[in-house]
Amino acid sequence: MKTSRVQKKSRRTLGTWVKSRDGQKVFLFISFMTIPLLLLFTFTYLPFAEMFGFSFLDMKYTGAREFVGLKNYMKVFQREDCFKALKLSLYYMGGSIVQLVLSLYLATVLSFKVKGGNIFEGFMFFPYLINGIAIGFIFKFFYTRGFVFDTVLQWCGFELENLPYWLRDQSINNISLVATSVWRYFGQNMVLFIGAIMSVDGELYEAAQLDGASKTQQFRYIILPSIKTIITLNVILSISGSISAFEPSYVITGGSNGTGTYFVVMHEIAHTQQKVGLASAMAIILLLIIIAVTVLQKLFFKYVFRSAEEEDPNAARKREKMLAKMARRKVGRA
Amino acid sequence: MKLRKVLALGLAASLTFSMTGCGSKEEDSKESGSNTENNTGSSATTGGETSGTSGNDADAAKGDLTYASVVLGESYTDLKTSIKWIHHKTDREEDGTIKAYIAEFNKLYPNITVTTEGITDYQEDSLLRLSNGDWGDIMFIPSVEKAELSSYFIPFGTTAEMDTLINFADNWEYNDNCYGIGYMGNAQGLLYNAAVFEKAGVTKLPTTPDELIAALKLIDENTDAIPLYTNYAAGWTMGGQWDAYLGAITTGSTTWLNQEFVHTAEPFANNGNGTGAYALYKILYDAVAQGLTEEDYTTTDWEGCKAMINNGEIGCMVLGSWAVAQMKAAGSNPDDVCYMPFPITVDGVQYATAGPDYCYGINVNSSAEKQAAAMVFVKWMVEKSGWCDFEGGYPISKTAPTSFAFEGVKIVSNEAALAGEEDYMNMMNSESELSFNAGGDAKVQRIVEAAATGEKTFDEIMEEWTKAWNDAQKECEIEVLH
Repeated sequence: MKTSRVQKKSRRTLGTWVKSRDGQKVFLFISFMTIPLLLLFTFTYLPFAEMFGFSFLDMKYTGAREFVGLKNYMKVFQREDCFKALKLSLYYMGGSIVQLVLSLYLATVLSFKVKGGNIFEGFMFFPYLINGIAIGFIFKFFYTRGFVFDTVLQWCGFELENLPYWLRDQSINNISLVATSVWRYFGQNMVLFIGAIMSVDGELYEAAQLDGASKTQQFRYIILPSIKTIITLNVILSISGSISAFEPSYVITGGSNGTGTYFVVMHEIAHTQQKVGLASAMAIILLLIIIAVTVLQKLFFKYVFRSAEEEDPNAARKREKMLAKMARRKVGRA
Repeated sequence: MKLRKVLALGLAASLTFSMTGCGSKEEDSKESGSNTENNTGSSATTGGETSGTSGNDADAAKGDLTYASVVLGESYTDLKTSIKWIHHKTDREEDGTIKAYIAEFNKLYPNITVTTEGITDYQEDSLLRLSNGDWGDIMFIPSVEKAELSSYFIPFGTTAEMDTLINFADNWEYNDNCYGIGYMGNAQGLLYNAAVFEKAGVTKLPTTPDELIAALKLIDENTDAIPLYTNYAAGWTMGGQWDAYLGAITTGSTTWLNQEFVHTAEPFANNGNGTGAYALYKILYDAVAQGLTEEDYTTTDWEGCKAMINNGEIGCMVLGSWAVAQMKAAGSNPDDVCYMPFPITVDGVQYATAGPDYCYGINVNSSAEKQAAAMVFVKWMVEKSGWCDFEGGYPISKTAPTSFAFEGVKIVSNEAALAGEEDYMNMMNSESELSFNAGGDAKVQRIVEAAATGEKTFDEIMEEWTKAWNDAQKECEIEVLH
C-alpha cells in the first residue's frame, strides 16, 4: 500500500500534486499553521519583544535612546510608588473573592427553579454590558457628596454628617472603587456559573433528593465538583485581573488621592513623564508577577480539588507492595 | 460528531475568508499607496505654483495697503467685492454672533460681502487648506513656520508701526513685518465672581498671597459660596492651570521660566516675601488646609463649576482668561464673572503674562481688491466690532474700549529658551517627573491631598520637589548656575 503510493507520487508533476488530495492536505496543514502563527507573531510577540527591548533602554518617545542594562528594573524596585500601587491590588483581590462567592451563591439559587429567575439574571448581568468608561462616570456622581448614594442611605435613616466622603477619605476610597468593579463583573461571573451548573445531569439531583440530601449537601457534593474547572478559571481570571486593575481607578479618580493602581502609575510614567523604558520594565515585572500568581493558583487548586475517588499515590504504592508481598507468600506456600 | 464537522467547516471558512481579506487588503493598500503618491505629487506642484505666484503678488501688494493707512468709513467705501473668512469659532458661527458682526460691518461697507466658514478641527484642517491654497481671503493663521509667512499672507505693516496700534504685534513677525493680528488676547490672572467678593466685604482686590487668603476667609465667613474651587478631579485644571503662573508672574523675570528654571538649584525655596514658585503653590495648600475650598475635592465637576461661579456659588478659580467667556455664558449673571491680575506682587509690581489667541491673516494670492476689502474688514473687526471684549479677552486694539481691567499690571511674555537649550525643560520635566506645563497634574493634586489629610507639610513637599529637581539636573547633566 505504502510503496505504491510513493511511486504514484513520484510520477506526478508538482502542479497535479498541489491539486491532488495529498497536496491540498499539506497545503492546508501549512497554511492553517502559518497564518495564525504569523498573525500571533506580528501582533503579539513582536510588539512584546520590542517592549522587552525598550525595558533595557533609557528612552522617550522621541530623541536618542541609550542602553542602560538593568537600571530600569532596579529603579522599579527602588521607587516607592510602584510597589505601593501593587498593594492596592489586595483590595481588588479581596473584591474579586467577594464577587466570586456572591456570584456562585446567586448562580446556585437561580439554577434551581426560581420565579422570575430569567429576569433577575438579566438584571444582574446588565452592568457587564455597560461600557467601563460610562460606569466610571456613573459612579463619580454616585459617590458625590449628597448625591445618589448618600441620598439612598439617608432614606435608610443615616445622617449625612455621619457618612464618610466615599472618594475623598483615603481609608475607604479604594473600597468604593473596588465595589464598582464587583458590581460590574459579578453578573458576568454568575452567568458563567449558571451555564456550568446547567450542564450537571438533573438525575443526580433527583437521586440525591431520594437519598435525603439537603440543598447544601447537593451543592457541596454535586455542583461544586462538577463546575470546578469553571471556578478555577474564574478565580485565575479575576485574580490576575485584579493585579492589573485599571479602569475604575483611572476613570473615577484619575489615579489621584492614593487610588493609583500599578497600571495607572505605569500609564502616568509612560505617557506623562515619558519614561518609556521604565514603564516597559514595570510591565515586564508585572507579567512575571502574574505568571507566578497563576502558577501558584494552579498548584493550590490541584491541592483543593483532589477529589475523593482519586486516591493518594502513596497509599496506592503501599497497596501494590502489600499485594505483591501476599502474592509472593502465596507462591512460597505453593 | 456533527458538531465537530460544523465547527471544522466554520473554522475553515473563517480562515479562508480571513485569507481573502488579507489578499484584498494588500491590493487596497497598494492602490491607496499609489493614490497618495499621486496626491503628494500634485500637491507638491500646486505648492510650487503658489509659492511661485506668491512672490509676484507680494511685490504687488507691497504698495500702499497697510493696516494703518485704512481709515474706517472713509477708505475703500466704493469697493464692491466679496471675501471669504475661515475660522475656528464654530460656536460663534452657530449662535449667530459672527453673522451679527458682519451685518453691522455691512452698514458701513454695504458693498463688501463677507462669507464665513467655521471649521471644527481647525488646527489640522486649516493647515491642509493653507497648503492647497483653497481657503478664501482671511484665515486665522495656523501653526506655520515664521519664515513661510510671506508666501501665504500679506503684511499688515511694519512691526514698529503696528505696535502703536495693537498689542502683540510681534507674535507673527518676520523681517520686521507684522503678518497676523490676534482676534483676542489671553492673559493669566484669577477668575472671580465680583458679586461674591463684594458681599464678603472684600473692598480691594488682593495683590499678594496673604491678601488672597484673607479674602477667601472673608468669603467663607460672610457668604455661602465656596471661596476657591480647585477643580481637582478634572486633572488638567490642576497642573495645566497652576503651572501657567510660573515665570514672570511669580518672579517678575521674563527669563526665569524657560532659561533660568532648569539651571536653578533651589527653584522652590521660600523667598519669604510671597513670591516665587513656593508662594504660588502655597496658596493652594493654605486654602485647602484652612478649609477654604470645596468639601469634597474628589468629585468636583468642571462642567458644573461654570454655572456655579456664574450664580455666585464660587468665589474664585485659578484659570486663564480664556475661561471667562465660558463662565459668563453659563448662567444669568455674566457681569459678575470678572478677571483680576494674579495676586503675587514682585517688588511692588504685579505681572501678567499674555499673548494673542488665533490671529487674522490675509491671503497673499487674493486679488488686490479682495485684499483691500479683507484689510478693511479685519481692521473693523479689531477696532470696532467689540468681539474681543465680548469674549472677555485681553484687548488687541490699543484704542478700542475694553472691560478688561488689568490696571497697573505689567504685561509681559516669558522669553523662549536659549538656543541649544530648547530641549532642557522637556528633559528635566521627564526626569524629575514634575512635568511643569506638561501635564504634571498629579503633583498639584498631591498638594491638595497633603493639605487635606495633613500627611505632609508644604515645606516637605517643596523639599521633595527640590530633591527631584536636583537629581534630574545631575541625571541630565545640566549645569546649576543660579
